[in-house]
Amino acid sequence: MTRFLIRRLLLSIPVLIGIVFVVFALARIIPGDPCVAALGERANPKTCAEYSKAHGLDKAIVPGFFRVDGKIELRVADIPATLTANQFVDYVGSVVKGDFGTSSKFGLPVTDLLLQRLPATVELALYALLFAIVVGIPLGIISAYRRNSVVDVGTMMFANLGVSTPVFVLGLVLAYLFAVTFKDTPLALPPSGRLAAGVAVIPLAKVWGLEGLGGPLRLILDFASNIYTFNAIVTFNFSLLADTFRHMILPALALGTIPLAIIARMTRSSLLDELGLDYIRTARAKGLRDRNVVMRHGFRNALLPVVTVIGLQLGGLFGGAVLTETVFNLAGVGRAVTEAIASRDYAVIQGFTLVIAVGFVIVNLIVDISYAYLDPRVRLA
Amino acid sequence: MSRSPRWSPLLALCATAVLVFTACGGAASPSPAASAPGSQAASQPPESVAPYDGLVYPEDGSSACGTEGYSGQIGSIKAIDAKTVEFSLCAPDAAFLSKIAFTSLAIQDSDYLTTTGGGGEALFRNPNGTGPYKMTAWTTGTEISLDTFADYWGDKPLTPKAVIKWSPEAAQRLVELTSGNVDGIDNPGPDDFATIEANPDLKLYPRTAMNIFYVGFNNNFKPFDNEKVRQAIAQGIDRQRIVDNFYPPGSEVATHFTPCDIAGGCSGDEWYPFDAAKAKSLLAEAGFPDGFTTKLHLRDVVRGYLPSPVTVAQDIQAQLKANLNITAEIDVQDATTYLTTASRGELQGIHLLGWGADYPDVTNFLDVHFGVGASDQFGKKWDDVTAPLVEGAKTADPAARAELYKTANNAIKQHVPMIPIAHGGSATVFKADVTGAHSSPLGNEALFAMKAGDRDTIIWLQNGEPGGLYCADETDGEALRACEQVFESLYRYKVGGTDPEPSLATGCEPNADSSLWTCTLRENVKFHDGATFDANDVVTTYAVQWDAKHPLHKGREGLFDYWTYLFAGFLNPPPPAP
Amino acid sequence: MTATAPPIPEAVAGQLVGEGRTSLWRDTLGNILRQRNAVVGLTILTFFVLVAIFADQVATHDPIAVLLGQEEGAKKLAGPCIHALGCPAAQPEHYFGIDQNVRDVFSRVVHGTRISLQIGFLTVGFAIVIGTLIGAVSGYAGGKVDNTLMRLMDVILAFPALLLAIAIVTVLGTTLLNAQLAIGIVAIPIYARIMRASVLSIKERDYVTASQALGESGGGILFRRILPNALTPLIVQGTLGIAGAVIDVAALSFLGLGAQPPTAEWGSMIGQARNSMFAAPHLVIFPGVALALTVLAFNLLGDGLRDALDPRLNR
Repeated sequence: MTRFLIRRLLLSIPVLIGIVFVVFALARIIPGDPCVAALGERANPKTCAEYSKAHGLDKAIVPGFFRVDGKIELRVADIPATLTANQFVDYVGSVVKGDFGTSSKFGLPVTDLLLQRLPATVELALYALLFAIVVGIPLGIISAYRRNSVVDVGTMMFANLGVSTPVFVLGLVLAYLFAVTFKDTPLALPPSGRLAAGVAVIPLAKVWGLEGLGGPLRLILDFASNIYTFNAIVTFNFSLLADTFRHMILPALALGTIPLAIIARMTRSSLLDELGLDYIRTARAKGLRDRNVVMRHGFRNALLPVVTVIGLQLGGLFGGAVLTETVFNLAGVGRAVTEAIASRDYAVIQGFTLVIAVGFVIVNLIVDISYAYLDPRVRLA
Repeated sequence: MSRSPRWSPLLALCATAVLVFTACGGAASPSPAASAPGSQAASQPPESVAPYDGLVYPEDGSSACGTEGYSGQIGSIKAIDAKTVEFSLCAPDAAFLSKIAFTSLAIQDSDYLTTTGGGGEALFRNPNGTGPYKMTAWTTGTEISLDTFADYWGDKPLTPKAVIKWSPEAAQRLVELTSGNVDGIDNPGPDDFATIEANPDLKLYPRTAMNIFYVGFNNNFKPFDNEKVRQAIAQGIDRQRIVDNFYPPGSEVATHFTPCDIAGGCSGDEWYPFDAAKAKSLLAEAGFPDGFTTKLHLRDVVRGYLPSPVTVAQDIQAQLKANLNITAEIDVQDATTYLTTASRGELQGIHLLGWGADYPDVTNFLDVHFGVGASDQFGKKWDDVTAPLVEGAKTADPAARAELYKTANNAIKQHVPMIPIAHGGSATVFKADVTGAHSSPLGNEALFAMKAGDRDTIIWLQNGEPGGLYCADETDGEALRACEQVFESLYRYKVGGTDPEPSLATGCEPNADSSLWTCTLRENVKFHDGATFDANDVVTTYAVQWDAKHPLHKGREGLFDYWTYLFAGFLNPPPPAP
Repeated sequence: MTATAPPIPEAVAGQLVGEGRTSLWRDTLGNILRQRNAVVGLTILTFFVLVAIFADQVATHDPIAVLLGQEEGAKKLAGPCIHALGCPAAQPEHYFGIDQNVRDVFSRVVHGTRISLQIGFLTVGFAIVIGTLIGAVSGYAGGKVDNTLMRLMDVILAFPALLLAIAIVTVLGTTLLNAQLAIGIVAIPIYARIMRASVLSIKERDYVTASQALGESGGGILFRRILPNALTPLIVQGTLGIAGAVIDVAALSFLGLGAQPPTAEWGSMIGQARNSMFAAPHLVIFPGVALALTVLAFNLLGDGLRDALDPRLNR
């Protein structure tokens, strides 16, 4: 087991390095520069040249490649000189020290922005996944149990309808329906945001008098504070809980339809696979009730790949909620990156994408390891 | 995201002021500023009771005017005593009061500037102003919360609390308003005006804006190097149809490049009328009887001058094909790249762009685009355009200026570097029970002057998030509007209007030729952090922006862009890039 | 199983032995048609394919023709008008209404079918070709080559698909082709992994060793032994992949990063109409429903195909 663990960990390292490089390169080869993005029509070459110099943007990006006037130029002669004196080396150096740079749009450290935006996406992802699990697994079971019947087709159509309808359409329709059509009725739901306007959330550090705390513990505390559901439960603030919940319903529904289809499909095929195995035939031959056979024997074993898929979906949801966050105006990570791309905010693009990708790799790793732990056959492969 | 252009017809006042000054020969002119009793005439230093350590900039007491490499308009700023500040200008400026009312010149506390180092998070995330609201919280990405400032010198805000939120989608803003979650929104989509007006719970406040949308050509590329081709296209686009169909009510077809509210802007002949037949024959004359193929470049960014870029582009494409048999392939470019490519003169086809006024003068329109220092966006420049513009910028007499701009406008009409299409209007929408609701031509909606029914919080939803709240270094209208709630300048614009009126200064008196302005400051004004307001705060606020070498000249992005638009130049500017 | 036997996917080999020599493809097709999911999906898909093929005949107007000034009474953003359902004869007939540029929405939705189907097949086709190549090389070569290629695939997979696609399109320029390329690149790892898994599972089999002993070339083994084995999961995943590709390219077009105006692509139609939703919901509903149905069809077909072709299912 340990050897498997070590092997998987070691394999992740080149992946992480590759991610850092791709993130950096991709961000930096986007044409145009942050000064022009900030000033718009009022940008002029003189001001922006000054800006470039002040922010170290005229340095080589990677050896030999320079950004001049928003375009990428290759200067072969300069490669030896810029082998270590380039922005990539600087970036890796600072990342290793935990410094992700400062946002050129907001002037805030990227870590601060992450602490504010990531919890929103995490909360949304968890709500969406919860909805997907609660609805998806039963649908998958029903489908498997009644394979190839009208019920099967019906439930699969229902499950797939969500993933087939683009999130932006679904979101707009839901928002309009629940906010405007059902206005002043008990069914009314807020069309956007995480909380009602003006509601202040007190950071946990303040509530528990831990403001002197620093370091990674403080980071974790601040992160947890910004997951409002957690914050509300832990401080017994039920109005905050209700407010957060009401705001999360529509986005969770819109976003959750995607993992719902995949979980339903996975449950169905995994259960079908199990039900085809000999031991199920034996159980049936022994005269056990079919429902017992399916649920007590088949389902539990079929659950493993489903759990795997759930884990993978979670990792994917973190970065994939861009459209949901746009439609419901949530200050999450996906939207932050899209806006950062538009304003050429390199630090944010790099930092956020890096965190999302690394998060995905870590989740993958955990899923792989727990799968290996639970299913010995995988370890020995 | 979209910036509301500032500076609308506050020039009616500027024009009047200029006319009055020149007519009366500058003597004994009625002051455009309301004077508090006891304000001093410019040339007499007031008696000080106790010696006041007033700051003076430049620090050696000299004037910056005429010094080497200095192109700005300010000579010196002096704090004569605790409540008097003297501005000495390099040339007469009748529009001084409109300039000092601008948001970027909001007064900061000098101690606060020093402790924050003139920049950094502390300064632009924790605004410390003198305004009726003070900021209590800023949740990044979500909202800014404001509360009443108890020690405010003037009238308390009509609604005790305010929240500023933002959403880039027009439909989403309207859903928020219709569902009752916010009290007011900015920039409804042009197609929604009818829906809003039909809704008794909402009220629409149209906003005229000082902007221009145009279709541009670069005369370095074929076939746009042929003047007849450009003239043909100028007559082959039905501009009224574009304004009628794709612009909100309150927009108008442009007769000239500069909006007519600006003095001298509309002098000269009106633009060509739409005449498809004439256009086609002119194009044939130019050598293209069967039309030609080209590209139509644009960026998909909503602006006051162009609320539906892609829609308008498709209509122009259809018109070019139908009227002139020109096949234009639409090329939607990334917003940032587009601007760089345009200003470098690399767009080979027809391009769509526009401009919103910073400052209500013809120079902010014509000179920026067609003057000697303009970019290469339109290709080669013409002498019969640049020459009168150079003259006009130097002339003070409005009649003479009008004559010069007539020449320039007529030359522009003949050479057709671009086709002016529309001046785009916009609006704000509020719940019907919000009293005092309005839209401001400068994008300066004053939340403190609105009462949200019987609720204790007024919630305003704008287009985008402010980047920061250090007004001196902000360029986005979204940030400037937020600044306006918590900061004040020496003067301010009338609520919902453009006339400057006293704010932190009780009055600013010009001398005989408007080159020396003496401002008397209001007493007993406090900043949100409790500090007292005095003349040194004014001098420091201005000096920090003006002097590029000032230790506190840091800001958020370090651009201080509006200073150059208002007063032309920095002291000790950095050397030009090689 | 001899070296000279024709390549038969193991899945169906057993059946052949039992039921006598029937046509392989007829059998598979029969299996597929027995899955109700697949039938429903196939029916919807056939409908859309026919619409796409006969788009010019089905559409009532030119999809990019602006009708302002050309057609009597054509009003911007007008709702659907069907004379048979009571719309006054004076008003011009537009089944799905008129859009903000005064064009017929029905014709645009019809032509959008053609574009969306092309997008789906091209994108996934590209991803499959490149992916199987990488997977085959990786699985067959093994060792360092395998490791490097698979790590590269992991790196691509680690990024959220839409964000990576947005970044790629921003770098390359916003055109429909680049959007398809971006989504295709993001999808490559999936097919690479499938192919690699197939290669690994077959590589050590006896008949492969036998082929090698007989001097058959690596390429020959690849094509005639390994590829058919990978075909099933590739087809299933590919069908599901088309569904995803259509939606993802629509999402990019919705954000303004894909199809360029005036192309009648469903995603960009919805994107341009999203701020007129109050005044003209029909502009979002019709393309939205078309998009949802097409993607649903591919999803159902993929599910059905998996049921039909997966040898492990209890039939």
